[in-house]
Amino acid sequence: MSEATTAFFKELDRRGYEPLLMRTTGTVRFDLHEGAHTTHWLVRIDRGQLRVSREDLEADATIGLSPALFEELAAGREHGIAASLRGDLTVSGDPRLFVQVERLFPGDPRSRGPRRAFEREVR
Amino acid sequence: MPGNTVRILDGNTFVVSEESGDIEATATEPTGLFSLDTRFLSTWVLTINGERLNPLSYDDLQYYEARFFLVPGAATHYVDAKLSVVRERAVGGSFRETLTILNHDENSVELEVRMAAAADFADLFEVKDDQLSKKGEIYTEVESDRLRLGYRRGNFRRETVITSSVPARFDQGGFAYTLHLAANEQWVAEIDVRTLTLGPGGRDLRMGLRAHGAERLALQQDLRKWIADAPKVNSEREDLTTTYRRCLVDLAALRFVPFSLGGAALPAAGLPWFMTMFGRDSILTCLQVLPFTPELSKTTLQILAALQGTRFDDFREEDPGRILHEMRYGETAAFEEQPHSPYYGSVDATPLFIVLLDEYERWSGDADLVRALQVECRAALKWIDNYADLVGNGYVWYERRNTDTGLDNQCWKDSWDSISYRDGTLPPFPRATCEVQGYAYDAKVRAARLAREFWDDPAFAEQLEREAADLKERFNREWWVEDGGYYALALDPDGRQCDVLSSNIGHLLWSGIVADERAPRIAEHLVGPRLFSGWGVRTLAKGEARYNPIGYHNGAIWPFDNSFVAWGLRKYGFAEEAATIANGILDAARYFDGRLPEAFGGYPRELTKFPVEYPTACTPQAWSTGAPLLLLRTMLGLEPHQGHLAVEPRLPVGMGRIEVLDIPGRWGRLDAFARGRLDLRQRGD
Repeated sequence: MSEATTAFFKELDRRGYEPLLMRTTGTVRFDLHEGAHTTHWLVRIDRGQLRVSREDLEADATIGLSPALFEELAAGREHGIAASLRGDLTVSGDPRLFVQVERLFPGDPRSRGPRRAFEREVR
Repeated sequence: MPGNTVRILDGNTFVVSEESGDIEATATEPTGLFSLDTRFLSTWVLTINGERLNPLSYDDLQYYEARFFLVPGAATHYVDAKLSVVRERAVGGSFRETLTILNHDENSVELEVRMAAAADFADLFEVKDDQLSKKGEIYTEVESDRLRLGYRRGNFRRETVITSSVPARFDQGGFAYTLHLAANEQWVAEIDVRTLTLGPGGRDLRMGLRAHGAERLALQQDLRKWIADAPKVNSEREDLTTTYRRCLVDLAALRFVPFSLGGAALPAAGLPWFMTMFGRDSILTCLQVLPFTPELSKTTLQILAALQGTRFDDFREEDPGRILHEMRYGETAAFEEQPHSPYYGSVDATPLFIVLLDEYERWSGDADLVRALQVECRAALKWIDNYADLVGNGYVWYERRNTDTGLDNQCWKDSWDSISYRDGTLPPFPRATCEVQGYAYDAKVRAARLAREFWDDPAFAEQLEREAADLKERFNREWWVEDGGYYALALDPDGRQCDVLSSNIGHLLWSGIVADERAPRIAEHLVGPRLFSGWGVRTLAKGEARYNPIGYHNGAIWPFDNSFVAWGLRKYGFAEEAATIANGILDAARYFDGRLPEAFGGYPRELTKFPVEYPTACTPQAWSTGAPLLLLRTMLGLEPHQGHLAVEPRLPVGMGRIEVLDIPGRWGRLDAFARGRLDLRQRGD
């Protein structure tokens, strides 16, 4: 199953522009390895303009991980930086691109965010 | 910590050893070779013919290299030694030790030279908290030309690889050489220790994280350039020149290059526990050293902006717009046993981010950066208004959401008992501390200038100015402690004041939130007998229930804190009071050879005659290193003014003549000269 993964990339492509990446330009390829099979997702970033494809082209940063881990990242249940520190996710090429793209993953759905002491939650 | 340790470092890699160069770490002794928050060597003990060596002397030549002179045998009979041993070591990329043995005898000798080597791969947090229980597997692989010490937990793998330039016999517990040295013969071996971060397939995962240089020569050139680029300070008081030089070198040593921004450095917080990026420490250090090394500010702002929060994460206490508190690379962060990947539990880093951007522009004229970081500044302001106002009354509050491993107190005084009422009891959460309201006020005032001059948004500027004025008015009404004549340290969620007298009121002067008519009373307190010891301003005033001269945040004196207090006093026109504090702290620096510790005791100067170092203080520490530089700026009255550098010195008589040459800024390079003319009254108790 890769529902969250597909939805994540589709949404990214639909978004077209992401202000968080307005100073970022480059290509990032996600290689989702499962046994001998690898699925590729290529994200082209041009000063915040985003384009997503399934091409297996050379990229400025290549991120390797399992489809299962990506599914968790796309759902916010796992954290990209922590996963990279563990070695469950590898980055080759420009690490800055990974750190920038990692910020696009959603937060943990179990997080409540800051809450007002006497009222409702802030968010 | 043992009596004397020798520390060398390069970025995030450092070695802490005994005076002999040996490393014999126990769970709690922070000796070892550390890199990426992991201990890669916990044992490194040299013996000759089974005997330990004794240190005659050592030199820490540069921050990245040290040399130890040793002889075999116990201290009582080494005068007869026929052998000398020199260990020279350097960090930078890897850890290298050159071992030289000289035979002074007229006869030849047979020697069995052995280095015991082991690694426990402790995470720095495990060392710090004395909790070493590894969940993974430690392994040792002996090869003919190397010793491989490793640790594996899932895909998390760290390895220490030891090689030697001359053939050695490697075994499970180290390596050895059998030597025959003729009369007056000398023997040299170069030992290389590499620290590897391995991913699946054995590839190094360091992802570009590296120190600012790698090879010794590169480090040497880099340090020379760093010093050459900084202003020169000449002074009739020799210790001041020494202190300045020490600070510059320590600042160079504390530069840290995180993997998220190729090649750019920001100041790490301090050795040994805090060799990583901290939002608060890095920003405050940059503010202190802006007139001397402005480039640190630019990279700090860029790095912190690149990692600004974008989502809600209760474990990491991340919110959109929030600036990070601390980043770590070790096992506990990787496996989410600690939240530092990164952790965002700081309430002041976000407003201070804006303060630094504005101050940096005033010095550098770097309008491009102000335009580039507009989005991040607006997000930070939104965080202050929306997510930090946990009570809904317009102040900045904190209450941790990560109740297991998050920080209780998310202000600079972050120990558990730092915030109290006058009777010593601790307030409930959320809490709001006074200095953070000052930072938020200053952030709005400064952001208004940026909006007007660079973002072409005068309406936003006016809105920010209205909000700032409103905050100042309410703050002066609700935080003023009537019967004390100062501002409360904090408010509790019911609006009750934590009515103790603390050093935090000095930060309020720096931020400009103090009503003009109240400033004289604040200044009086800061150099009065309850707060001022003669060396500096205590974190908490004598007479408060929790006061303790060696209470970390309840009475000890922090040089960094004092430097901002002095800056604040000067801003409100209290030049003499500012000079009094500057003088006390710079006097104290003499007792530490120019390297001020994190904190020292709040004992009266008259009583102890010398500053008593806080027991577990971290040194060198970035914002202590920055303190003398900010004090210099304060005494000389250096201030960017309409594109020029204004110099308005108010120096105490004992300072003599001071010149600061080649101060960089939007004006190019300018010099400042000053002579001590202020006759300071005796202050403190």
